Amino acid sequence: MKVAGTRNPAETIAPAESTPSRIRARRRLPGYAPGYAFIAPILVYLAATAVYPILNVVGMSLRDVTAGHWSFVGLANYRQVLHDLVFWNAMGNTTIFTVASTVAHLALGLVFALLLHEVWFSPGLRNITRGALILPWVFSTAAAGLMWSLLYHPFGLFNYLAVGVFGRPQPFAFLGDPRIALASVIAVNVWKSYPFYMVAILGELQAIPVDVFDAAKVDGAGGWQRFWYVTLPQLRGVLIAISTIDVITTFGHVDLINILTRGGPGRATETVAFHVYRTALLDGNLPQGAAISTIMLVLLTMFTWFYLRMLARRGAESW
Amino acid sequence: MVNLSSAGRRRIRYETHQALLVGASLLCAVLIMVPVIWMVSAGVRPVKEILTYPPSLVPKTLTLQYYQRILADPTYQQYFLNSTILSLTTLGLALVLGSLAAYGFSRYRFPGSRAMLMGILGLLMLPQVTLIVPYFHLAHLTGLYDTLPGLIIVNTAFLLPLATWLLKGYFDSLPEELEEAAMVDGCVRLQALWKIVLPLAAPGLVGVGTFVFIGSWNEYLLPVVLTETPRAQTLTVGLAAFFGQYVRDWNGIMALSTLASLPLVVIFVLLQRWVVQGIGSGAIK
Repeated sequence: MKVAGTRNPAETIAPAESTPSRIRARRRLPGYAPGYAFIAPILVYLAATAVYPILNVVGMSLRDVTAGHWSFVGLANYRQVLHDLVFWNAMGNTTIFTVASTVAHLALGLVFALLLHEVWFSPGLRNITRGALILPWVFSTAAAGLMWSLLYHPFGLFNYLAVGVFGRPQPFAFLGDPRIALASVIAVNVWKSYPFYMVAILGELQAIPVDVFDAAKVDGAGGWQRFWYVTLPQLRGVLIAISTIDVITTFGHVDLINILTRGGPGRATETVAFHVYRTALLDGNLPQGAAISTIMLVLLTMFTWFYLRMLARRGAESW
Repeated sequence: MVNLSSAGRRRIRYETHQALLVGASLLCAVLIMVPVIWMVSAGVRPVKEILTYPPSLVPKTLTLQYYQRILADPTYQQYFLNSTILSLTTLGLALVLGSLAAYGFSRYRFPGSRAMLMGILGLLMLPQVTLIVPYFHLAHLTGLYDTLPGLIIVNTAFLLPLATWLLKGYFDSLPEELEEAAMVDGCVRLQALWKIVLPLAAPGLVGVGTFVFIGSWNEYLLPVVLTETPRAQTLTVGLAAFFGQYVRDWNGIMALSTLASLPLVVIFVLLQRWVVQGIGSGAIK
């Protein structure tokens, strides 16, 4: 107890008054001005660094540039992009890249999360294993790409297993053979990013009340039945949420493709995201790059809209 | 007697279950770690021990010469410095602007607040690649191309929404009564945030800070697009450039990539609990 006399007597009343209002979810403070004052800095910052560039890219996509002079050309850039087979090839690769990565992320994440969620005889060993399983997430895409290209090397570990152990006549050209290059890039992306989804699933598993499982056990449900009828339905929400996040993230992924294959061999691993990079920055065609970016923005807005609506429905009470 | 044997059977079942569970998990963990183990080992021994059939599992020669070469190179020192400046500045900006905004969203409801929060969440979902064209263009117009400040400004834009969103979730979980008491004592709102809320939110700040730091340290696309000389390039770009050379110095590449990853592994090992909580609580919901 500090010097009681210096305190305002109202203090003793305030908590008593606030008790009933705590029952109504969360109380917001009156007065608009301070609220705006707190968020003004971030609004100004994001308006300048995110909203303006979004408007800028849409504007650029409707123009063409010759010798530094920009002129309005309407939808000509879009017409060109949509008639370009390279764009549709990239869309196809993006679809494979995104779907395969997302499915593998969720599958690995779910399996590892289930293993870690079990009761271990040694919680310490479990924590170390969890740390090891999260570790790939800590590395940069650059480091991940380099680690894997050492494994993919013609004389690397994987080819030793293929040739030396399993007796394949020649080594695989993991990144050079158009038939397997995309799969090789996907494998690195799976390794690099599954831990995020594993941790998210693990968090949700730990939130499932134990008595639900006990009830199922009493009813005679076996391990597989408990997983199928109890665990999986409880995870439905988080699985939908993280697969949306994953689709959005993977859709915009450039790093590993640029590091490992630069879209090659040929255009076998060129995704739409890499196509933007190649068109605008390597080929120097900014207007066309802007048009592809805008197409990506529209698709991403649709994904995000879907995600936000789902969030709002799931977490309506937290607002 | 019957009881004993059933207890014994249960014990055997428990032990088999544990052996399978722990054995399978450890096997998975080891397989997942193979690329990392291979990288670390290629940094300390000649590459001819690794890129050969069969590769030797146990090093025959151990050397630190590749590390010495990397550490003595002023270009790589510059990359380390740039990555550090980028990550720490972004961390500071994201935590300051993010906690102000998170506090505003958490404690006030005003016209447009929900729409603005949704807008910020929408930006969180925006991949960098969609905006590299305008950034490249605008960076040239403003003279920020190939400078660290330019890189920091853009990088912060991508981590700020995440910081705000996670911190808002954290602030929501803190009771308001303490701030009200402090305000009755004559604190203004900003003081209440500084003196009461932020200390209570310290674990949240650590978790969010770790996210922002790791994200900045590992950022690859933005420095590729916005820089072209070592004065502003970061480690990730340095790594990839090293790799792009015609004759690949695998030892050097692996030593550099181990060094570049080391700070994050240390941070992660120390702060694992907060990072896990961060992903588990705020990042999804």
